[in-house]
Amino acid sequence: MAELRLSVQLAPRSKRGLWLKNPVMVAAGTFGYGDELAPVLDIQRLGAIVCKGTTLKPRPGHPQPRLIETASGLLNSIGLHNIGVDALIRDKAPLWATWQVPVIVNIAGETVEEYARLAARLEGVAGVSALEVNISCPNLEAGGMEFGTDPVTAAEVTAAVKEVTSLPVMVKLSPNVTDIAEIAGAVAQAGADALTVINTLKGMAIDVARRRPALGSGVGGLSGPAIKPVALYMVYRVAQAVEVPVIGCGGIASAQDALEFLMAGASAVQVGTANFVNPKVALEIIGGIEAFMRREGVGDIAQLIGAAQP
Amino acid sequence: MPIETCLVLSNEGLTPGAYLLWLEAPEVAPHARPGQYVMVRCSSDHDPLLRRPLSVHRVEEERLALYFAVVGRGTEWLARRRPSDEVDILGPLGNGFKIEPHSRNLLLVAGGMGIAPLVFLAQKAAAEGYSPILIHGAPGALALYPQRLLPPRVDLRLATEDGSQGEKGLATELMVRYLEWADQVFACGPVGMYRAMAAHDLDKPVQVSLEVRLACGLGGCLGCAIHTRQGQRLVCRDGPIFDLGEILWDELKM
Repeated sequence: MAELRLSVQLAPRSKRGLWLKNPVMVAAGTFGYGDELAPVLDIQRLGAIVCKGTTLKPRPGHPQPRLIETASGLLNSIGLHNIGVDALIRDKAPLWATWQVPVIVNIAGETVEEYARLAARLEGVAGVSALEVNISCPNLEAGGMEFGTDPVTAAEVTAAVKEVTSLPVMVKLSPNVTDIAEIAGAVAQAGADALTVINTLKGMAIDVARRRPALGSGVGGLSGPAIKPVALYMVYRVAQAVEVPVIGCGGIASAQDALEFLMAGASAVQVGTANFVNPKVALEIIGGIEAFMRREGVGDIAQLIGAAQP
Repeated sequence: MPIETCLVLSNEGLTPGAYLLWLEAPEVAPHARPGQYVMVRCSSDHDPLLRRPLSVHRVEEERLALYFAVVGRGTEWLARRRPSDEVDILGPLGNGFKIEPHSRNLLLVAGGMGIAPLVFLAQKAAAEGYSPILIHGAPGALALYPQRLLPPRVDLRLATEDGSQGEKGLATELMVRYLEWADQVFACGPVGMYRAMAAHDLDKPVQVSLEVRLACGLGGCLGCAIHTRQGQRLVCRDGPIFDLGEILWDELKM
């Protein structure tokens, strides 16, 4: 059989575009800035790396405990602990500029203006291939309601970022909404080049000995295999609702999982919590997708994307 | 940094609820230093999900031992491994203990299962010509680490809370008698033990091993960040060994 074609274009509407040599990326917050994991695996073989969620100023994050294991899942409340955009530009981007693997910077803000300032700071920075906008953050101008739970504010953030950047913009949607397709439509309409579906599900655990919430900050985000069916459904639904590429994320831990997301309509996938269990899992997933394509006589990954859609 | 699928050589209950697991680990064992840990996969599927951080207990050439207490579903799974089963480990990780160049008299203080990394340190120190004193405290005689398994040239002093063996009392109480002798102290045990040590205002280097929840062990998730006098530190990568005085014991919550 001829050589397999695994490459995908994730930002067809963007002038710069975002070509990935394969559709398997690592999700924000699970892979640091990429360099931490370099001693363990050949990170250059990844489709892309999404770095730790980044804010204008460095943030110390939430108090301990930040992690609680649940049934086939993980609750986290890291609290956007990060080095801030200036240190990222100074210390990380120059390294990324020497890498073959594209690095996508995940940005998070507390006001629409903060998102725009972050995007503006990252404009023209060598080593940054795209932006991923985390809209699951509390909006300080709207009483702490998350940007991503309201189609109007979600679209405002998207438009504000798009206006100041020439980079492809992915928007990472929150699953903690009544109708994710409505938010997806608003964000796509506002100019998003691609949508990452989904961020973590809100959750909590109680420490019965202390009779208090177990996480230091009280509530957190649930990830891992436990959320896969929810994420898969949301990808399936969003892929029907919008024209822009969808990136599937949520509980992906094997090639089988990744193939399910591709067939549900995702053009690419992000592996998150599974990186903690096996730092090499994303590379194993790439190999597993290739093996499946060979076995099934599929020459181009495009033939699989959305294959399970009606 | 290898991820290695290791053959189980032996797995025996050593004290009630605690197991000594020997693994064939040719890629990991030769690189391990005392105080370092490995992330151990404790299931064959997604539940329990995360690896468990366990300190390296002993190394004999290409073999590596873990000494662990059964505290939950992960360690329960690990306790059921039998010879010729496989266990997946990632490591060695973390900074490890550091013997200062001027130190001659090494005092090792082990509270309960805290003996796990200190046996490796005692073994290494003895091999390098030191004659360390190892204080080991436990609730009772049954929970004490078997003396026959300790390397030679390690001077063992025991304390039990019920007085069933050794001195009656806590390891930290016994420790006080040897403080003047010691050039450097190395400790592993519960946080309460470290708080008691910190209250002594020791005038010599003290290194302690911190145990917190870890997800990745590689600095990728930032789940283990703590505030210290030197700023924010990741227990997985900057630790798990810290200077006693570096940790803000009053605000440490795990």
